[in-house]
Amino acid sequence: MKGGLRMLAIVLTRFPRSVPALMPLSSSRSILVTGANGVLGHAIASCFLAREPESRVFLGVRNHRERADELAARHPGRAFVIELEVTSAEAWAGAVRRIGEHDSPFSVLINNAGFHDDALLATMSADQWSSVIATNLHSVFLGCQAALTSMMSHRFGRIVNITSLSALHSPAGQTNYAAAKAGVIGLTQSLSKETARMGITVNAIAPAHIEGALPSHWTEEQRKAVQKQIPMRRFARPEEIAATVFFLASADASYITGATLKMDGGLV
Amino acid sequence: MTLQQRIKEVMTSNLMLDVAADDIGDDSPLFGPGGIGLDSVDALQLVVALDKNFGLKIADQSKARDILQTVNSIAAAIEAKG
Repeated sequence: MKGGLRMLAIVLTRFPRSVPALMPLSSSRSILVTGANGVLGHAIASCFLAREPESRVFLGVRNHRERADELAARHPGRAFVIELEVTSAEAWAGAVRRIGEHDSPFSVLINNAGFHDDALLATMSADQWSSVIATNLHSVFLGCQAALTSMMSHRFGRIVNITSLSALHSPAGQTNYAAAKAGVIGLTQSLSKETARMGITVNAIAPAHIEGALPSHWTEEQRKAVQKQIPMRRFARPEEIAATVFFLASADASYITGATLKMDGGLV
Repeated sequence: MTLQQRIKEVMTSNLMLDVAADDIGDDSPLFGPGGIGLDSVDALQLVVALDKNFGLKIADQSKARDILQTVNSIAAAIEAKG
């Protein structure tokens, strides 16, 4: 449907519904991972490519694409790089059109793109605030809206939103990031209730620090100090987060929706 | 099968209704008091299903209210689009 769907604000009496038959998991589906050039996005995409040999994985990238290009080269015909500015509705529409050119239904969206620009609120610029909100939260709204058209048409879908432990346990200096990621959790819960009877689950994962994606300004001493606070005494491995994303997109998670899974090694 | 019957089949197969297709009157209100009890989520699914099955595109909220009133009003919209 051109122009996407708009939520129809028709408030009506609700009647109980019969339980639907379990929706079989398609053996061939199209999966879009945003922020696919980053450490976590790359791991998520790699996980799907390894575990679902019949599916196609679309790698959403913006400025950097080296890792995504390399992954696509290793999986010709199955992995495709898509330039996707996640804060643009037009870009999302283009991505959905591109995915729709293949015969596998677009049924899995991993909203992974995001970044943080830390500052104390008293000195945070308006641009620091709005850009982090746009890339981490507004993008999820746009992505979900763009993906829902296909998912509703097929009456099946899996949306996994990557939030952050910062949404639940917010450190100083991240009012923008924590607000955005907390918004993602709220969006996840609310949307999950809208889509539940359509066969579409919506869940979130809240990772803590991830190996390979630690703040670049940390010294070795700072890294060790943070690591020591974690009961598991280590940071998350990207493939651990990716495996949980894969689980939430699988048939085994068909009764899980609206959930936020905290992955922090026992930190909080 | 009449257009009205096809619409009812699409509704029952897409909306998980407690009523059978044959029990939906052509002029029964679909929403609101006295209707068969569809809600806003059903409306969304119905819009998608009507597009997929009949090519009927409803992108305007105010038009949706008019079109989705009854099976007959949906049928009229489908026939009017040509």
